[in-house]
Amino acid sequence: MVYQNWKEALGDQIPDERGLEVETFAGQIELRRQNKVDEKVFAETRLRWGIYGQRYDNGQRFDGHQTQTLNYPSGDLTKGPNTYWDAPGMLRIKIPYGGVSPRQMEVLAEVADEYSDGILHVTTRQDFQLHFVHIEDTPDLMRRLAAVGITTQEACGNTVRNVTACPLAGICHDEQFDVTPYADAMAYFLLGHGDTQDFGRKFKTAFSGCHQHACGLVNIHDFGLLARTKEIDGVLTRGFAVYVGGGLGTIPHQAKLLNEFVTEDEILPLAQSIARVFARLGEKKNRNRARIKFLVDQLGIDEFRRLVYEERETLTPDPRWTDYLNDVSEYKETPAKLPVSLNGQARPAGFEAWYETNVYHQRQPGYSAVYVNLPLGDLTAPQMFQLADIARKYAGDSVRTTVEQNMLLRWVSEADLPQIYSELKANGMADPGINTIVDITSCPGTDTCKLGIASSRGLAGELRDQLTAKIPTMSPAVKELKIKISGCFNSCGQHHVADIGFFGNSRRAGNYLVPHFQLVLGGKWKDNGGSYGLAIGAVPSKRVPDVLEAITNRYAKERLEGENFQAWVTRLGKKEVRTMLEPYTQVPDHDVDPSYYTDWGDTREYSLGDIGVGECAGEVVSLFSMEIAKAESRHFDGLLALDEGKFAKADDGAYRAMLSAARALVRTRYLDLPDDPNRIIEEFRARFYDTKLFFDPFAGGKFAQFLFDRHETPITTPDADSARRLLEEAQLFIEACYTCEARVNGSIIGS
Amino acid sequence: MIPFRTQIKFFLENPETIDVGAFSGLFQRWIQVKALEGLLIDVADYRHVHQGPSVVLIGHEADYTIEQRDGRLGLVITRKHQHDPDLQSSLQTALRSLLAAAQLLEAEPSFQPALKFRADEIEIRLLDRLRYPNTPETFEAVKSDLQAVLTARYGTDQVSLSPVHADPRYLFTVLAKAESVASIAPFKV
Repeated sequence: MVYQNWKEALGDQIPDERGLEVETFAGQIELRRQNKVDEKVFAETRLRWGIYGQRYDNGQRFDGHQTQTLNYPSGDLTKGPNTYWDAPGMLRIKIPYGGVSPRQMEVLAEVADEYSDGILHVTTRQDFQLHFVHIEDTPDLMRRLAAVGITTQEACGNTVRNVTACPLAGICHDEQFDVTPYADAMAYFLLGHGDTQDFGRKFKTAFSGCHQHACGLVNIHDFGLLARTKEIDGVLTRGFAVYVGGGLGTIPHQAKLLNEFVTEDEILPLAQSIARVFARLGEKKNRNRARIKFLVDQLGIDEFRRLVYEERETLTPDPRWTDYLNDVSEYKETPAKLPVSLNGQARPAGFEAWYETNVYHQRQPGYSAVYVNLPLGDLTAPQMFQLADIARKYAGDSVRTTVEQNMLLRWVSEADLPQIYSELKANGMADPGINTIVDITSCPGTDTCKLGIASSRGLAGELRDQLTAKIPTMSPAVKELKIKISGCFNSCGQHHVADIGFFGNSRRAGNYLVPHFQLVLGGKWKDNGGSYGLAIGAVPSKRVPDVLEAITNRYAKERLEGENFQAWVTRLGKKEVRTMLEPYTQVPDHDVDPSYYTDWGDTREYSLGDIGVGECAGEVVSLFSMEIAKAESRHFDGLLALDEGKFAKADDGAYRAMLSAARALVRTRYLDLPDDPNRIIEEFRARFYDTKLFFDPFAGGKFAQFLFDRHETPITTPDADSARRLLEEAQLFIEACYTCEARVNGSIIGS
Repeated sequence: MIPFRTQIKFFLENPETIDVGAFSGLFQRWIQVKALEGLLIDVADYRHVHQGPSVVLIGHEADYTIEQRDGRLGLVITRKHQHDPDLQSSLQTALRSLLAAAQLLEAEPSFQPALKFRADEIEIRLLDRLRYPNTPETFEAVKSDLQAVLTARYGTDQVSLSPVHADPRYLFTVLAKAESVASIAPFKV
């Protein structure tokens, strides 16, 4: 029988609840098309269905010479403020704990083929994303996914995002126990739950099986659960250390311990209690302070804990809190084959290098897990079909995505490793280098993200190519470094927890803008994202490979025996690192080398797209450049003071840096501004904040608030945490001043 | 019954001599000068992916992709928003747009030596697993439509059609061969 639509064709393959939700959303699409639903309401609705805007959906695109209007055929019809109906967008597909079956992989391949550009992208939250998707196609796409147990519901928006977990859960040597069934239960308990529908911002959850590795990244999550066991009344009991209030974003926060041991039967009600407190007391109006980390900071962890447990007492018991526990002990994955050791089989060319980096020996003897190396997290639909076949043949029903944008085939009989390598290689998926310097993580950046400032994927691709060529002769210490890149300050590429991180920004050179990346050093990936790096300085995008080479060469040459990268950076000192950067910071004139004025992977003249044309130029710009340099210098002094443990000095350095940057900006319009903090604030507020000239299209006045807060309510005794945070805020404020100056003062070529 | 989307691919001659990276800048320029019919939106670069859609010119009505699927370099049109009354019209529209793009590329002076497409082989894909599953029955059902469109284009009835993939999960894909035709030059847009 030939069906005319997927709804009919799939019939009862779609679970009732999911089917009803998809049909409701399909109805909302139709209502919006008829203009019977407000565009803001529809925008939040589609976000909650994983449908996100993409660059240029406002109908404007800088083509390298001028901004073109994209006349989408839908005319004035929008799917949200400034978001045209016909503009292609992104669809995020939730994959709880990254677990997918071969059948699900096939359907993912099918929908990528038919509804997007044929590429599946693995994200840093173990999701898949499709790009260039049209909104009217999404109901069928969702129906097809729902028929194999996949949802896009609450993949974006102010919701509980994908629940992540270690991809090695259940096979890891160091875990306390397999967190998979707990992550699965948490994901579906919170999905669509009535207590998770009124958040001011998103809420990210992660499970980790151990403390020492990074797979789960508990410390960077709003809600993190770390597996523990404890003897209670003579019985070894499973539970979790529970952390709250972590997060990267513009200003990273380390999670705080809520409870060092929560028994397994209490994690779901505890999650519900946390959700209720967050929904009730979390910020709703100012989205820049609406993540739970701000609430935890504001209340203090002790008061937050008290409120959560007070809330716990009010909950009506729900059988789902413990029903799933009946299945936990039964939970197991069925390998495709019996375990046989790798012993004497012929090894194809290239196998050894791949085996060294891409194979993890499971704690179950005779089995290994195989990482599938996906450049920039991408694979094609045909590759996904091939991978599904390989998984069925060699692994079984359990494949995982990873937060480092790769995939993992588990339960591979070791005797099959040479054959699986050959089959992966035939399909372009056997590049070695997992967990090495070439395995670079990157957010979408300016390729598709509306917030992107620089091309994180372009840079990641370039570095990957260059480093792959060098890896055979690379020092082992360099080889194991982690590089992570974000296209802006929002940290989707997780640059804060890399050894070497980069985030995109821009600088002005004459009447042009130049893409830059801020270098972030000293982050810690291990220990679940154990500590965050700090920005050292900005370099032109095109000089990043040279900077990386200089740093890694020096590290290889000067590191002491056993000294890791973080320790080396600390020993070297930020001042010296900054000195190393200086030769790379110069930007030649446009006429001399125009390549600096384009970004990696994009031949267009670089632009921020929406830069306005103001009245000033020439020497005033030059004055701004000199004065903003002072702000950078004061900020750097603050960083050095932080290293020395002089927290009050660091705090003051950050504050003075912000004042200097604000003054630099104000003096482009009011040259006689005295160097008096109150006058600077007053004039900055009147001329740039109240007029909204300073406002970023997406962040609004957030960065100015950092200065106002510090000016109005200084901390009496700054500690390491507060000083560090203020320095992070100051860095962002300075970046925002650069951007604002470029936007409102003087003409920029190509704006 | 028109498929949800339609793809047609022209293969490039001497693929080993072609710098795929050059298409990124060229497609950006096509957006600047509105080189093709329809709304052109963006360029996506996937050169890092094995046998993938290396560089995609994203449009509203159609995407134009330099792709290496199955290891063969070529130019593909993906017709996305189709309003044609039947399959033959849909294929004709796609073919006409693809020819326009291919002829622009062949005339592009920045490629040295000049690009040249083969016309003795064309690949046609129907992106609609619901109504056009990759089965022998689909092949039998659409064969006459494909033959009619290609015969009209080639001006010869010496066109042979064969399914490309046996795997029913794959897109319905047909390879058309007309060995007497050496280039796309005789085609009229």
